[in-house]
Amino acid sequence: MPQASEIAWLIPVFPLIGAVLSGLGLICANKKINNSREIVSISLLSLVGVSAVLSYKTLIEQIHGYQSVEKLFVWASAGDFTIPMGFVLDPLGSVMLTLVTTITLLVMIYSHGYMAHDKGYVRFFTYLALFSSSMMGLIISPNLLEIYVFWELVGMCSYLLVGFWYDRDGAANAAQKAFVVNRVGDFGLLLGILGLFWATKSFDFNQIALGVSQSVSENSLPVWAALLLCFLVFLGPMAKSAQFPLHVWLPDAMEGPTPISALIHAATMVAAGIFLVARLQPLYSLFPSIQFIIALVGTITCFLGASIALTQMDLKKGLAYSTVSQLGYMMLAMGCGAPVAGIFHLITHACFKAMLFLGSGSVIHAMEEVVGHQPVLAQDMRLMGGLRKKMPFTSITFLIGCVAISGIPPLAGFWSKDEILGNAFISFPAFWFVGFLTAGMTAFYMFRLYFLTFEGDFRGENKELQKELLLASKINIEEEEHEEEHGSLHESPWSMTFPLVFLAVPSVIIGFMGFPWDSKFANLLDPEEALIALESFELQEFLPLAIASVFIATIGITIAYQAYFAKKINLSILFAQRFPSVNKFLSNKWYLDDINEKLFVKGSRKLAKEVLEVDSKVVDGVVNLTGLVTLGSGEGLKYFETGRAQFYALIVFGGVILLVAIFGFQSPQVT
Amino acid sequence: MSSYFFTLFALQTIGTLGGGLSDFPWLSVSILFPIGSAFLIPFFPDKGEGKQVRWFALSIALITFLVTVGSYINGFDINNENVQLKESINWLPKLGLTWSVGADGISMPLILLTSFITALAVLAAWPVKFKPKLFFFLILIMDGGQIAVFAVQDMLLFFLSWELELLPVYLLLAIWGGKNRQYAATKFIIYTAGSSIFILLAALAMGFYGTEVPNFEFSHLANQDFGQNFQILCYIALLIAFGVKLPIVPLHTWLPDAHGEATAPVHMLLAGILLKMGGYALLRFNAQLLPIAHAQFSPLLIVLGVVNIIYAALTSFAQRNLKRKIAYSSISHMGFVLIGIGSFSSLGTSGAMLQMVSHGLIGASLFFLVGATYDRTKTLKLDEMGGVGQKMRIMFALWTACSLASLALPGMSGFVSELMVFTGFVTDEVYTLPFRIIMASLAAIGVILTPIYLLSMLREIFFGKENPKLTEDKNLIDAEPREIYIIACLLLPIIGIGLYPRLVTESYLATINNLVDRDLNAVKSLPKTNVFAGNKSNQILKAPTI
Repeated sequence: MPQASEIAWLIPVFPLIGAVLSGLGLICANKKINNSREIVSISLLSLVGVSAVLSYKTLIEQIHGYQSVEKLFVWASAGDFTIPMGFVLDPLGSVMLTLVTTITLLVMIYSHGYMAHDKGYVRFFTYLALFSSSMMGLIISPNLLEIYVFWELVGMCSYLLVGFWYDRDGAANAAQKAFVVNRVGDFGLLLGILGLFWATKSFDFNQIALGVSQSVSENSLPVWAALLLCFLVFLGPMAKSAQFPLHVWLPDAMEGPTPISALIHAATMVAAGIFLVARLQPLYSLFPSIQFIIALVGTITCFLGASIALTQMDLKKGLAYSTVSQLGYMMLAMGCGAPVAGIFHLITHACFKAMLFLGSGSVIHAMEEVVGHQPVLAQDMRLMGGLRKKMPFTSITFLIGCVAISGIPPLAGFWSKDEILGNAFISFPAFWFVGFLTAGMTAFYMFRLYFLTFEGDFRGENKELQKELLLASKINIEEEEHEEEHGSLHESPWSMTFPLVFLAVPSVIIGFMGFPWDSKFANLLDPEEALIALESFELQEFLPLAIASVFIATIGITIAYQAYFAKKINLSILFAQRFPSVNKFLSNKWYLDDINEKLFVKGSRKLAKEVLEVDSKVVDGVVNLTGLVTLGSGEGLKYFETGRAQFYALIVFGGVILLVAIFGFQSPQVT
Repeated sequence: MSSYFFTLFALQTIGTLGGGLSDFPWLSVSILFPIGSAFLIPFFPDKGEGKQVRWFALSIALITFLVTVGSYINGFDINNENVQLKESINWLPKLGLTWSVGADGISMPLILLTSFITALAVLAAWPVKFKPKLFFFLILIMDGGQIAVFAVQDMLLFFLSWELELLPVYLLLAIWGGKNRQYAATKFIIYTAGSSIFILLAALAMGFYGTEVPNFEFSHLANQDFGQNFQILCYIALLIAFGVKLPIVPLHTWLPDAHGEATAPVHMLLAGILLKMGGYALLRFNAQLLPIAHAQFSPLLIVLGVVNIIYAALTSFAQRNLKRKIAYSSISHMGFVLIGIGSFSSLGTSGAMLQMVSHGLIGASLFFLVGATYDRTKTLKLDEMGGVGQKMRIMFALWTACSLASLALPGMSGFVSELMVFTGFVTDEVYTLPFRIIMASLAAIGVILTPIYLLSMLREIFFGKENPKLTEDKNLIDAEPREIYIIACLLLPIIGIGLYPRLVTESYLATINNLVDRDLNAVKSLPKTNVFAGNKSNQILKAPTI
């Protein structure tokens, strides 16, 4: 049997086959395939399962030191150019593949429960398989161009899945916003790729870096141009990984089904930007100023996300802003020249954030039984509370996730976040300080979520509050007033709790892969760097920073405890009333959505309208006017209606007669 | 599916017969067969419902398609950059007119595209009830006429076939169009007939250049050494003529009217094939026969291409009428053809070629869907739609797939062609760096604008709550098998090209390389201007090779 690394290209192929088949089935034999939904989901699940097995095998091979594999073929060519495609499998790729396949599998199992009553069950699984295939393709892409291809494909899947419930206006808008904002990033990415190809005649990561450094040192490529190209390429990851100011699409994308929020918008796709920056480290590390910009963007994002998350009342939106913030941390790591730390945080974060999102889905699933299928109600924490007693698995795993993300040792988040902060402390102390503050905020808002949702008394039966919430979100109450048979709160079925429990394990222990004094993870990804890190490790440097971050996290948790569990301090009096402007600023999400709406959405509409005016009045007007003037008829072009056939015949016959005349004149000389 | 297998089987049969068929007049047959068969239609027994005629027309269109495929398999060598499958008969020697047909790499893919799209358009015209005999008669005439446009090797003959194809389009618009059909048809005929006078003038001038005996054959014209001023004059004339067809902003205003009024099958032909005549002719005449003028005008082509992309994308965004929206999106996509033709790189030019093929498929599919949707909703106004997706799920899926193809999603043909144009233009050292940076950045804005208008369109038709007015009165049924089949036939090559573009690009690469070499030589003879990078700056900007 061949080594799995050699046939890694098969990994994305399996789910793709499944997606294509069930997609064709949906179009050609809709009813039949919808009736055999279990067969479809089980076969898709097993196809992803095969990919997962292969991925684990490649990971084991890579751990045992099997060489990196790269295979290419000519995809398109013209003149002297060839555009190669193919696949590459290296330690980074195998780690990411393992992560993606594992989480996809868990999310598929979860979706079986979550989407059980949905009409679009089969369609949902088809999209899931398509997404996982594209994401795996992205990971094994050997060059920038192929990454771009899969980059767009995962974006498309995200579009389809965010807009999955297409009868909801919110979902429709969010899907479009996600795609368009990502296209803004892709605009830069595409130009950057083209420019780098122009400068280096290559799409390959290492060759680009080599070529750029060579031409900059030979002065054949001006430094400003190189910097511009690097920045343009960075726009892509900025959009995909929701970095400020292109993060606006991610919170809206929560309109999609919750399993999607867990898989695409927390664990995998949004990490693609981080992954790409990691792939491009050879290039970015040439230019400290670009590194600085990356770190700066990461830091701003990290702080912004956490600060907005402080005031969110929607459970999923709160988690979404938390994701934005954590992605900022990862980007900060990239900017500090510590890709291994960034990828490590990506992995740990994927585990606990996927778990948190799936947990929130479990909560929403339960809430829908009580308040109905209205997202404004089912996701609002003001209606929750006291769920711990009814939902033991969900609440415990959620609590584990909160502890992990807050950076309390020995859970996963502590190790990865601390490594990033440690690197930032060395490279950019100011950014370290912001990241350090954010760690405190993170602990606070996560435990705020936990206490509001799972502790205290259940507030879901409060009809007046429900009405108020509906009014606030401008939803027509009468339309929603059809009283359904409301059930009671209960724990979700095993298919939903099993993934939660499964993910809780790595959330606790995966951090042990990356002890700063003996990082197995760094050993795998970058042995040389790991050796340097090992030699320079000193406990006296590590401990103060670690203690400081644990300290600030504890403060955050304590405040959350006092405010939302013990109710000893009232934050609205203490903070919101004293600094109303700050509070407003935060709850309006730094006004970025408004700016986006007013400046870009309305602006582009207005511009388009004006261009259309010009087109119909000026450009077309001139045409109609010419008709008017030349014919001297008040009816303009209508004149021709009486004699159009004659007019046409005139032209043709005129042409032919002209020809005959000319040739008749010429012909004597010919003969 | 069965007809697909039938097609494959028939192809193989043709393939095995191939040895004895190399002398078969493939191209003449593919031009004359549909036209000749069309004249049988008046004698066809049919009571006016069109149920027999449509089968007849479909089989003729399919046979024509098979003949063109046969010509590609048997008589066409992709490694040969010259004109192949040549047939030449002295037709009217007194007029210097010869029946001269043949195909090189630029013609062949478009000939195949034509017969393919026409066959699908006949299938799309299944529900036509009004004067079906005349309708299918005109469609078949168009089929032959359009193949002739791409296949003839004589400029005078080219002019005649260009004209021949106008008349059916005019009648198809004027008789089967929407409310404003008279206005649209008149506008169409005035624009195109008026502009084709320029073709005639240029043809006469070029045919008579330097000889006593007029000779209009391309091979003769290509070897002529036209003077620079002469070339420029001819170039301007031809650019106007073909610019109307492509169309180039601001010569485009006939198109939204014509497309806005046409019925779905005519629409497919207009977008799928007619627009490509402009691009083809620009390559054939302006780039191939007038290289010196082409070298001087190419910067203008690039600028016009960028204007096309952005201007038409913005107008499309503001349009509230579905058909006009997609019509403008066609104009926007044609901008890439212009940039590719002006790029002086074989990658860019072959991207332009691929964009023509790709848009032929994607445009036809979108316009077909517009027609199919209109049959159900009876309105094209976006304001009156909404929430249709719940009743028409499969239709929604087909729309989504075709819109994604149109917004150049990777894995589909539009992405490859746009990428090739971009890469070819950017990496090409003919233009100065600032010019390239500015133009590429502006053209890339199209990358953002296209999804904005296409996805907004999808959202307004399909997403959201059901529009009660629509769902109450109208019969919103989901896509029927015939419609799914047509879209599948179009999507198959779209995705095929997207996954492996060499399927198509190999067929014309040799010709394009040859053409670009010729143009590049012409550029080198030019003095350095502001836009073109001269030798000196060329050295500075020359990218290192690894």
